[in-house]
Amino acid sequence: MELNGIEFGALFLNSLSLWWVIIPAVFVGVIMGAIPGFAAHNTIIMLLPLTLAFDVNIALTFMVALYCASHLGGGIPAILVNIPGTGGAAATTLDGFPMARKGLAAKALALSFVASVLGGLITSAVTLLALPLLSRVGFYIQSVEMVVIMLFGLALIAAIAAADMLKGLIAGAFGLMLGAMGADHIFATPRGTFGILELFDGIPLVPALIGLFAVSEALVMLEERTVAKGDTTAVMPTWRQTIQNIFGAFRHWWLVTWSSILGLFIGVMPGAGASIAAFVAYQQARLFSKEPEKFGTGVEQGVVAPEAANNGVTTGTLIPLLAIGVPGGSTAAVMMIVLQYHGVPFGPRLFMQSPTLAYGVIMSMFVAYIFMLIVMFPMARYLSRITVVANYYMAPMIIAFTLVGAFVPRGFMADIVIAVAFGVLGYVARKTGYHVAAILIGVILGPLIEKSFLLVMRISGNDMTAFFQKPIAQILWVLLVATLVVPPVLKWRRNRKINRSADVY
Amino acid sequence: MNTRSRPPRKAVGADLIIPVVATAYAIYYIGSVWDFPPEAQRSGLFMASMLMFFTSILFVRTAIQLARGTAYISFAAVLGPEEGRLQRLAFFGLIVGYLLIVQWGGFTLTTFLFLLGGSYLAGLRPLGKALIFAAVAAISGWLFFIVLLKTRFPLGPFEQLIAFIGASWN
Repeated sequence: MELNGIEFGALFLNSLSLWWVIIPAVFVGVIMGAIPGFAAHNTIIMLLPLTLAFDVNIALTFMVALYCASHLGGGIPAILVNIPGTGGAAATTLDGFPMARKGLAAKALALSFVASVLGGLITSAVTLLALPLLSRVGFYIQSVEMVVIMLFGLALIAAIAAADMLKGLIAGAFGLMLGAMGADHIFATPRGTFGILELFDGIPLVPALIGLFAVSEALVMLEERTVAKGDTTAVMPTWRQTIQNIFGAFRHWWLVTWSSILGLFIGVMPGAGASIAAFVAYQQARLFSKEPEKFGTGVEQGVVAPEAANNGVTTGTLIPLLAIGVPGGSTAAVMMIVLQYHGVPFGPRLFMQSPTLAYGVIMSMFVAYIFMLIVMFPMARYLSRITVVANYYMAPMIIAFTLVGAFVPRGFMADIVIAVAFGVLGYVARKTGYHVAAILIGVILGPLIEKSFLLVMRISGNDMTAFFQKPIAQILWVLLVATLVVPPVLKWRRNRKINRSADVY
Repeated sequence: MNTRSRPPRKAVGADLIIPVVATAYAIYYIGSVWDFPPEAQRSGLFMASMLMFFTSILFVRTAIQLARGTAYISFAAVLGPEEGRLQRLAFFGLIVGYLLIVQWGGFTLTTFLFLLGGSYLAGLRPLGKALIFAAVAAISGWLFFIVLLKTRFPLGPFEQLIAFIGASWN
């Protein structure tokens, strides 16, 4: 069932009237998103008694606002200290942190906030208008397509994240191998666990993220006095400069629009997630850039594209839940529990029985982004000061507080040890040119690829050609090959052009 | 006369740490699935062979560079700049110490000791300043993670003392 203009207007006003829920949720979401390990779903789980006590409408608004804000929050430490608060912000470190090193942290934060908010507004508006159509995307994406999408994501990251593609591929493949640790999907027998009981369920993702990014970064930090290098006068801009930074970020409106829509489509596919979307968007931004060689050194588009995409995913992951009753991510799964508790139906029945609730979720998201616009922008001025705080404060605090985050999801002391082990791996990777993001994405995708791979093999009777038979998979294979082949070819052509013009002079 | 200068030799030893560790893990992984039925072996073998294919290319590339004299073996890159190397190693020792103590020391006390030692090693002077920093940060962390977020971290002497005071108060 679709709503008319007046009903949309009423929904908008209703969501606006819930400002008293949205503003605290935005603050909580940003803070928790910025702390690795305290992702949106963990926070919502911790606050579950509160959300269950609320009316379903208010509870959903609270959760949705917190969820969106946590994605925005994840980009803040990624820019300031090279530690993504969530996996979706891993791609933001590639150019966000180099900007902070140059003393442009305030500008990078402004870009991140504008891209996140604008991306979220665009995708929630698109979703409100095209929800029935978007909900069908999930039906066409099956195991075969999922395997190709994930390989596509991993190949992209390998190509992007390391200066040497071979090292990127090794890092990604090693991550996949580590991700395949634990009980196998058919016989539930442990593989490659060194006999450690806590690894039987596989590598826990949050300790891996904290180790690879936070612990290793803290160790690297000790080599320098502060994060920001050289001239640090731009680190604390005036209000005038802050406003200029924010309005300047709107120049990238086109990149924000298509990156966020890309994120929306990737988010609709269950399991694909914000991390892949952010890297795909980053690669596309680089591919169509006039100066692709500057990516990785602190370019604005390198911050805008992943941030817009990961906020696009935020909207996308809710669509399978609303349309077909399948949660698109862990936060959506927690929301499903709240809906169940309140006796609200899912899928098509939700649209028949409570259409205002279904559309209201997306409208709440739209309104939450408007509030974020007001709440977050002044923070761009002050947060950037973190980059001039001496590392003798920062490094020990990062270790002590992020290790708590490693412990939180499962409550195992072994997870803290795992985080430190990944920290050592991440430190060696950083020092030798194997980008930690490639290892992390491999660890995330390892079990997902394996599951989909085995499913395809079972359904097809061990026929490998099954991966190439369906039209969507064929298109995705072509895109995968093109993404790996086109950048080197373009680079070669550019170099040839430069050499020719050098010969002329 | 050839005026073109020879490019500087590249240090490659540290680059091999991750491929060697990755290959060793892939071999161990294959060993751990060796007795499994073929269906359960397939995906692991696929990933291990993909990884070993990439690492083999790197090993061959490195061997060629060494044979041509364009590279040399050195592990210095992984240890970072010489200045402050000892302090950084001691800082890592503190992390290991944190892991050993936290089980019985609890969050607040272990965090306090770690922050005190870590900040002092990293260059925070005088000791009094490091003490104040460690105390304020550890108490703030306790309020946020343990009191507010109810994280189930192991309880140590500090948390037990607070619980005792709280119980006596009531």
